[in-house]
Amino acid sequence: MKKTIPLTLIFIAGLLGVISFVIPHPSYQVYDEWIRNDLLRVLSAFAVVLALGSLLRVHFDKIKRKRKNWQFSWLLLIAFGGSAVVGLFGGVAADGVLPTAVGSFQFDIQTLYENIVIPLASSMFALLAFFMASAAYRAFRVRSMEATLLLVAAFIVMVGVLPMGYSISKHLPGFVQWILNVPNVAGQRGIVFGIALGVVATSLKIILGIERAWLGGGE
Amino acid sequence: MKLYERLMTIDRRIIYGILLGVVTLPLIFPSVVKVTPMSPVEKLFTAVDNTTNDKALILDCSYSPQIKAEVEPMAIAVLRHAFKTRKKILVLSLYVEMIGLATRAINQVVEEFNSNAQTYEDSLIYGRDYVFLGWQPPPIVPMLGMGESISNIYVVDYYGNQTDTLQMMERIRNYNDISILVALSGSRIPISWVAYAQNRYGLAVGVGCTAVSGADFYPYYQTGQFTGLMVGMKGAAEYEELVEANYGVKGRRVASEAMLSLTYAHLAIILFIVIGNIGFFLHRRRK
Amino acid sequence: MNISTDPWIWISSILSLAILSFLYKENPFFRAAEHIFLGVANGYLVTFYWHRILMPILFRPLFQQGQLLLIIPFTIGILYLTRFIPRISWLVRIPIAIYMGYWTGVLIPATIQAQIIKQVQGTVLTSANFQSWNAGAWGIVWSVIVFIGVLCTLSYFYFSREHKGVIGVTSRVGIVFVMIGFGAAFGYTVMARISLLIGKLQFLLGDWLGIIR
Repeated sequence: MKKTIPLTLIFIAGLLGVISFVIPHPSYQVYDEWIRNDLLRVLSAFAVVLALGSLLRVHFDKIKRKRKNWQFSWLLLIAFGGSAVVGLFGGVAADGVLPTAVGSFQFDIQTLYENIVIPLASSMFALLAFFMASAAYRAFRVRSMEATLLLVAAFIVMVGVLPMGYSISKHLPGFVQWILNVPNVAGQRGIVFGIALGVVATSLKIILGIERAWLGGGE
Repeated sequence: MKLYERLMTIDRRIIYGILLGVVTLPLIFPSVVKVTPMSPVEKLFTAVDNTTNDKALILDCSYSPQIKAEVEPMAIAVLRHAFKTRKKILVLSLYVEMIGLATRAINQVVEEFNSNAQTYEDSLIYGRDYVFLGWQPPPIVPMLGMGESISNIYVVDYYGNQTDTLQMMERIRNYNDISILVALSGSRIPISWVAYAQNRYGLAVGVGCTAVSGADFYPYYQTGQFTGLMVGMKGAAEYEELVEANYGVKGRRVASEAMLSLTYAHLAIILFIVIGNIGFFLHRRRK
Repeated sequence: MNISTDPWIWISSILSLAILSFLYKENPFFRAAEHIFLGVANGYLVTFYWHRILMPILFRPLFQQGQLLLIIPFTIGILYLTRFIPRISWLVRIPIAIYMGYWTGVLIPATIQAQIIKQVQGTVLTSANFQSWNAGAWGIVWSVIVFIGVLCTLSYFYFSREHKGVIGVTSRVGIVFVMIGFGAAFGYTVMARISLLIGKLQFLLGDWLGIIR
């Protein structure tokens, strides 16, 4: 029962998904819209509750057991609690019951997002430029014909795609566009076919119950 | 230490320092760099330009804070273009962590326009000229659902208004009333728009993506599934150039300002790779 | 130089520097910033799920407008929380099965249409494809190159036979196209990563320190 019911459900739900695309008839669309608009939307919201519950449990557990770096978990919980209170009671557009400004100092949820989430996330990715430069210098070696081709194509794109491409030759940007439009498309398209066939095969395996990793461990 | 050893073992701090220098100096001492638009960006610009009065444009701001630097200038350029030419525009995000960036872009451009507006007609009025639909999960719901009814999916907009009570939404009901959707993203979302909304409802999809996805997206541009394509900061700079050249819209051009830094940084990376390989060849020859 | 007096700009900048300090090595400032990020990002998420999904889509219609059909998604959704009750935790598989099943079901025809049929149409040698390049007679040449390139690339990824003879030749040609594609992707990736660094510096040097405009 613990496996049969979920496997039957995934088969039925998968079939409904396929049918919705193959038979776009209005009489069926009513049901399809209900599945998408009501069922899937609500399920996605509860999935977030599960994810959040897991995150908080991990950090409470870390504090309780005083695991390595447990002090930082307090920071996470305080930041989460503070921003959730501001968002839930202060409203999405600072329209809630909780005041979200003291004088000219605002602390509504959008302000927190713009001044904490954005700078932190963008800084994490800004680091990648340094690591990429260092890795390219250390690891990019012309050992074979394939590596040479890759390097030449990369250099042409790096130079030709920028304004300096025109300074070198007025034909260079056009040549870069040709590389992207013709040989690049041929190579990428072969990969697109491979990915698409892989997606279809995996989806079929999931719906037909051949792929069961999503059931997780246990009975 | 032999020459080839020196060439192959430059300290990472030197590499970081050089990179930081070549990126920073052109920002502090800027000079004008002429950006020439390429055809994929021109096609996108034309498609947005061709939106007729009876139709609206959807701007999907599904880019995360991590890639803000690359994609936000695209959102601002497209919004400036659409507002300047008085297109009706709907803005949305497909993921919750991205909706704050859409809010930021809209607030910035609306403020730019309204600070220069002389009359009520000139001003950008919420509900009349643009609607911020906000976000509804999971992405498949708006992608397919808006083909039937936009206000059924976005029952309330970002600000909590009932969407069907907004003036603009009286005429904009579903994809039949949309000329093009411009998907700005750092992931495979534009392909999902094609797979769901275009296949089923024939929606035209234009794309602005991070440079990481650029080469992967060309097969979809070549088939016409993507009406136009803006790739990375350079693509954003090209769109900024088109908006200013065609409509004289003045405003800070963040992507264009970055072109010189980008140029020097590319040259530095090429140099690093060349130096590493010279060391590698000398080493191989000795062996 | 015109340093910002906005306290939020200072907070953003200090948090940014804490993350960038990872370049030196992992340190407590980086770890603190990382945890603050996770906390605030999840607080933001909760806000929107409550105000824009659960309230207008579920609770208000169900409890205020009496749309009783919503009891079904509500009940199935609640099953997600059984994950925290070991004795009945298997019930979490029910909402996952419905969600994942429908999604994968829709994905199959959509993928076949968008990524296989349309891509094949863009590859075959037809007059429409020749003209789509807007390059006159060269359009035929470009289409032929794409056609040959796609076939050869596919043959490179065909591992059911040894790459000898005809397949050996086509797979060698295929790898040329793949490598050009990867090269273009690498070139663009460099641009992407540098752009993100520029964005960060534009903020630190401009909005914070006021060194640049």
